[in-house]
Amino acid sequence: MHRYLRQSLDNIFKKNREWVSTKTSGDPGFFDKLAAGQSPDYLYIGCSDSRVPANEIMGLEAGEVFVHRNIANLVPNVDLNVMSVINYAVRHLHVKHIIVCGHYNCGGVKAAMTSADLGLLNPWLRNIRDVYRLHERELDSIPEEDKRYNRLIELNVIESCRNVIKTAAVQQSYEKNQYPIVHGFVFDLRDGLLRDLEVDFEAMLQDVKKIYCLSPSAKK
Amino acid sequence: MNVTGLAGRPGFMARNAVARSAVGPRSSLPVPRVSPFSTSTSLSCVNHKPGSANPSDSETNRPGSLADKYSAGLRQNKDWAANTARDHPDLFPTLATGQQPQILWLGCSDSRCPETSMLGLQPGDVFVHRNIANILHPGDLSSGAVIEYAVKHLRVKHVVVCGHTSCGGVAAAMGNKELGILDPWLLPLRQVRERNLPLLQSLSPEEAALKLVELNVREGLSVVTQKSAVLNAIQERGLQVHGLIYDVGSGVLRELDIQETEESLRARLVAFKTDN
Repeated sequence: MHRYLRQSLDNIFKKNREWVSTKTSGDPGFFDKLAAGQSPDYLYIGCSDSRVPANEIMGLEAGEVFVHRNIANLVPNVDLNVMSVINYAVRHLHVKHIIVCGHYNCGGVKAAMTSADLGLLNPWLRNIRDVYRLHERELDSIPEEDKRYNRLIELNVIESCRNVIKTAAVQQSYEKNQYPIVHGFVFDLRDGLLRDLEVDFEAMLQDVKKIYCLSPSAKK
Repeated sequence: MNVTGLAGRPGFMARNAVARSAVGPRSSLPVPRVSPFSTSTSLSCVNHKPGSANPSDSETNRPGSLADKYSAGLRQNKDWAANTARDHPDLFPTLATGQQPQILWLGCSDSRCPETSMLGLQPGDVFVHRNIANILHPGDLSSGAVIEYAVKHLRVKHVVVCGHTSCGGVAAAMGNKELGILDPWLLPLRQVRERNLPLLQSLSPEEAALKLVELNVREGLSVVTQKSAVLNAIQERGLQVHGLIYDVGSGVLRELDIQETEESLRARLVAFKTDN
């Protein structure tokens, strides 16, 4: 058992060195540029699911996207973890786009559609049940469970986008700089394609600001 | 820095199309199969007009240039899919059975630290949580839910806490500037700084920052191994925990020596292990 686990890790260091060789043979200065600092254009908020690696699905290189991943790509209003990520990405890195990316077949969303007690996971997944309650009429009108499941995954992304827009950092930066723009994507595991949910950022921002406005000048 | 639209990035969506076969048809293990949603894929995310302050947008977001990149990506995708299937014949059939990652990765959000790429691994291999400065707060529900799900439900074999050189969060905690909501998040780093103040003050600023990166990884591992789910998995099925430091200036991972004495391991089990 232990020898097997050891071998598995040795393999990782070997692959890491192969990756380094690939990068430096294509561009000898690749890591020198990264050592100088990061200035990513994108913040990606996605699911921890191993099948949805941020850089790979978007074809982006090291240095191009700042990444936060949690169970079911949630942006809970009181989660200090994700709020710190958004704050740092917007106020310090000045990202131009924030991508909230969900994926079909999401185990977290599925768990939130079942009546199981999952212990420590309950409070986290309850956020998804809240999304269901917010869109209860629409979801209840979908007779097929598969389609209802997919729609909840999409609505969960859209509500996460809304929560991103509720932050002072996003509202104030957009007012001053016309960025960041918030996007909602869904990744389809079956064909590897990203689908843009076409969140209308400006309309959502205006809608959110009616109650959640945190940019003082807008109140004039 | 120029403002660049998503679609303006060279082949942003097209490069996604290239990646399509990496994650071929499959369903999730804990989740029943669902019917395909829709085969129509919106390739444009240019439905926003950030305004005239960003002159580059009108140039780079033209649908025409995007379509060209998309066509090129689709062509390249055919070669890539063939190459991947040849190099990794087991990949697609394995992924079709669902998610069975061996590794839980707890790392930094920093854009220079893409875990799956730097490990040379494939989609399906690494379950990931990344936050500011790879800090693990004992009561944080977000990382707590990730660890619980990965260890108990996915039964990963390795838990990795990975810090990195030139970490902005560590630099912030070595300074004394008020940072609003980031301050409570960075608090554990300042606690480590306080506990190791004489050591850190004896080093050059660069050495001190790197030392705090290392101490932060050790602190994170300590929090991880205070969780009963992790302790149970270590005892019952040989789950391993690892501390790594990634050098953003060379791309190389270094493993920390995290040997624990029998005595401290026993104390940890007595104090933190709970049974259901």
